[in-house]
Amino acid sequence: MKNRLLSTVGAAILAAGIAASGQAKADGELNVLTWEGYTDPSFVEGFEAATGCKVTPTYVGSNDEFPAKLAGGGGIYDLVSPSIDTTSIMIKAGFVEPIDTSRLEHWSEVYPQFSGHDGINVDGEVYGVPYTWGAIPFMYRADAFETAPTSITQLWDDPALAGKISLWDDKTNLYITARMLYGNDADIYDLSDEQLAEVRDKLIELKPKIRKYWASAGELVNLYANGEVTISNTWGGYQSALLAEQGIEMVEFIPEENADGWADSWQIVKGTPNEDCAYQWLNYAISPEGQCGVVNITGYSGSNPTALETCKTPEEMAALHQDDFGYIDSLVLWQEPARIDAYINTWNAVKAAE
Amino acid sequence: MADILHLDHVTKTFRGGVVAVDDISLNIREGEFLTMLGPSGCGKTTTLRMIGGFEYPDSGSILLDGKDVTDAPPYQRPVNMMFQDFALFPHMTVAANIAFGLKIAGMPRAETESRVKEMLDMIELPQMGDRLPNQLSNGQRQRVALARALVRHPRILLLDEPMSALDAKLKEAMQVELRHIHDRIGITFIMVTHDQTESMIMSDRIIVMNRGRIEQVGSPTDLYDRPATAYVADFLGTSNMVPVTVTRTGDQVVAKAGEASFRIARHDGAIADGAAMTMFIRPEKIRLAVAGDDGNVFKGQVREVFFSGNAVRIDLDIGAGQVVMVHHQLDTALGDAGLPAAGDTVTCSVKPETISLFDRAQADAIVRGGAAA
Amino acid sequence: MNHARRHKMGFWVLFSAPMLWWVTVLLVPYLIMLSISFYSRQFPFHVPDFQFGNYAILLQDSQYWTVLLRSVKVSILVSLAAFAMGYPLAYFLAFKVRSERLRLFLYVATIVPLWVSYLLRAYTWKTILGSEGILNSFLMWIGVLDEPSSLFLYNEFAMVVTMAYIFTPFMVMPIYASLEKIPRSLIEASKDLGAGRFSTFLRITLPLTMPGVLAGFTFTFGLSVGDFVSPLLVGGPYSNMISNVIATQFGMAMNWPLGAALGVVMLFIVLGVITASDKLERAGRLNLG
Repeated sequence: MKNRLLSTVGAAILAAGIAASGQAKADGELNVLTWEGYTDPSFVEGFEAATGCKVTPTYVGSNDEFPAKLAGGGGIYDLVSPSIDTTSIMIKAGFVEPIDTSRLEHWSEVYPQFSGHDGINVDGEVYGVPYTWGAIPFMYRADAFETAPTSITQLWDDPALAGKISLWDDKTNLYITARMLYGNDADIYDLSDEQLAEVRDKLIELKPKIRKYWASAGELVNLYANGEVTISNTWGGYQSALLAEQGIEMVEFIPEENADGWADSWQIVKGTPNEDCAYQWLNYAISPEGQCGVVNITGYSGSNPTALETCKTPEEMAALHQDDFGYIDSLVLWQEPARIDAYINTWNAVKAAE
Repeated sequence: MADILHLDHVTKTFRGGVVAVDDISLNIREGEFLTMLGPSGCGKTTTLRMIGGFEYPDSGSILLDGKDVTDAPPYQRPVNMMFQDFALFPHMTVAANIAFGLKIAGMPRAETESRVKEMLDMIELPQMGDRLPNQLSNGQRQRVALARALVRHPRILLLDEPMSALDAKLKEAMQVELRHIHDRIGITFIMVTHDQTESMIMSDRIIVMNRGRIEQVGSPTDLYDRPATAYVADFLGTSNMVPVTVTRTGDQVVAKAGEASFRIARHDGAIADGAAMTMFIRPEKIRLAVAGDDGNVFKGQVREVFFSGNAVRIDLDIGAGQVVMVHHQLDTALGDAGLPAAGDTVTCSVKPETISLFDRAQADAIVRGGAAA
Repeated sequence: MNHARRHKMGFWVLFSAPMLWWVTVLLVPYLIMLSISFYSRQFPFHVPDFQFGNYAILLQDSQYWTVLLRSVKVSILVSLAAFAMGYPLAYFLAFKVRSERLRLFLYVATIVPLWVSYLLRAYTWKTILGSEGILNSFLMWIGVLDEPSSLFLYNEFAMVVTMAYIFTPFMVMPIYASLEKIPRSLIEASKDLGAGRFSTFLRITLPLTMPGVLAGFTFTFGLSVGDFVSPLLVGGPYSNMISNVIATQFGMAMNWPLGAALGVVMLFIVLGVITASDKLERAGRLNLG
């Protein structure tokens, strides 16, 4: 009797635990792990109305969170949208499944440079649907600078910037600092230990002048809006637009050290019970509605120029560099570093330092 | 004896309008053992605390050795208190507790140590200096509290219900010992208690308090034998309260109860003929009639007899429904005493000067107020 | 059924649920954490192993020491600040407020912020301490500052202020409890024996409330040393605390074994503090009896 009671209680607790830990449920609800702005209601509502699939987003502040969240028993997600340097990690880790591109109506319209990128193509299978792309430029408050900054060396050299700088809490800072130290042609994704140590020390040297490392789009916007900082790196196009809405004029610029380029793709989490809805979303993401929606909200460039032509004037297309694929070749497109552990450790050492 | 402390029209009202002490004036003599006696809420503790500096009067003044200390804090008065719960510092040893007041006063270490030793000897706990208060018995704690309060040689020692934490046997022994210590060291003691026996055993003078006022001040025998008010008569010891009708012829006052009549020797002279009053007679003052007795003689019928070891209590019906208690001390074995039995009619006598007569309304108020001890 | 068996069954009925809870949500996770701390990192995950490499990394790489020391330092500062604010508050409540009702009201007012979201309260401090915040505006208004100071926010000071504010109730509660237990006659006796207010406080009140003070320090230290939010919200570039590093190892770096090793180290720090305060308290209690 007692044993049966115990086992019943145990089973109930286990059942409750499983329910709470929440395997993604096949209920037409898409749980997506993504960036701010990527599932904005302004264009997701149309998708939900048309398909009956509901979209519930969770936001990340850094690419490293995608594998981390899925490794931490993150079975609740159906879709993720990491950048091109992280998609490959998701594939290697076995978190995502191949995509049947024949089910995607607009697949052929996507920039081939993205759809054919190594980051989402492994062993002849496609693991991602490119969505947006852009740069990690720097930006500054227009009213805080008399002469426009042109190089990130000014962050170190200009004493007036003390306490006015914010940097993204991300390993991307290693890349641009490496280019500053070793030139724009350096292989920044395969730095030696000595080079990483130099990059680390250079970034530690900058710490006294940094007000705060920003971890989300909203945080950076607040830092500017509250008058805390005047210059930072940024998710090109997005935060400056949010600040413009608050009447704060921002100027984005590509420094002499060039800027990182990024491209984000949707990936389907392995074993999702909502595969139909997931494919509906992938289709929508590169359709005119999805592309126009996300580009309008984020200010990023889109992966399907054909779709964007339906809503953008040629001038707007030019401003987004949608007419000029040479632009993206000029950026340093992210890739998975050869020794990612060493890179992450280097960035952590910078943050830990006194 | 010179006065050491003078309370002049002292009044204290607590928040909520309760008048704790109501216009009290009092002189306390150097070296005496004075007890403030009364039921809880009579103002005795508040008066003591005002003397100690733990409460401040709303009006009136307190003079110590002629100096106004009305508003002085406790640490500026040469007065020490033994607290009801002893208030020993639990984190200090016995010796440290006793030395506390000397240390604060900045006394050199050697002198402090010898004073502490002297005190430990006085309270007969010479080996206990290193103990902590919680390792002591209640009686030992009380002694330590006493030593701590006396070590500074205060002008006055205040004792707040010092025996309330002790059991009956220990209480009796300590009453005597405290009295002896007082007599030996010659410091003025002011004690607060609600125990009338204790107050009579220990004190030179007693102040009986009631509702914030002083009822009577006097020696224990004064108070017991010649109570000024019905309240005092009732509070101290046991009394028969007998409603009487008074007849007065010149200076002769006679009280009638039932079929008995009593000559009254002590009265305030203002008694009217025919007044309805209450007569107080101590049960032990009534004697089963002896030949040649010069007191009031009266008859009564025995209702019941109670044996209590050293005495018997006899309840006598003196007519008209009045019952009087008689305490009869036994100097022989009970069987030989020839005591009356229920139903017997006996003759008793009581001396006129042991009878007190009070206003009926005043006496009734005490009975109704339930203030009897 | 005999008495002993019935007794045993009663024991199990009463305690099986709490024991199950304790085992499943406390003991098992700690054991899992301990075993993972011996695993080996193997990109992108880790493999079961038994080696001390993760602990070796913690010893060798100064970044972990830096953060660990900073966490301990900040927690001590928070505890001291909470003590400085909490003791007078508890003292005032216990000794100075005469009305029972007012005392209850003030006590609840002290505690009730604990029911408000931590995040909300931390954000509030952001709006107070920021460059264009309330404090700067005030100091400029009264003429102390000519231009806003950036010294109030995004640094250790802001973290200490925020955490001290949030954790002060944990200091107030045990100190208040120990103050309440002091018989007023002890205070009066001290004054009666010639000690003034300050002397009485130092010699009587403070020593008798040491158990409460120790409990308060243990609470605030434990809560601060594991704090993760205030470094993110009001801390600056030099404010990374041990919990943030652990979160990074379990998150961004996906280095669970190293994160687990850090967790074990932190667990032992907190256990050490609790043991030390327990020892001190016992010693004190022996003294008090």
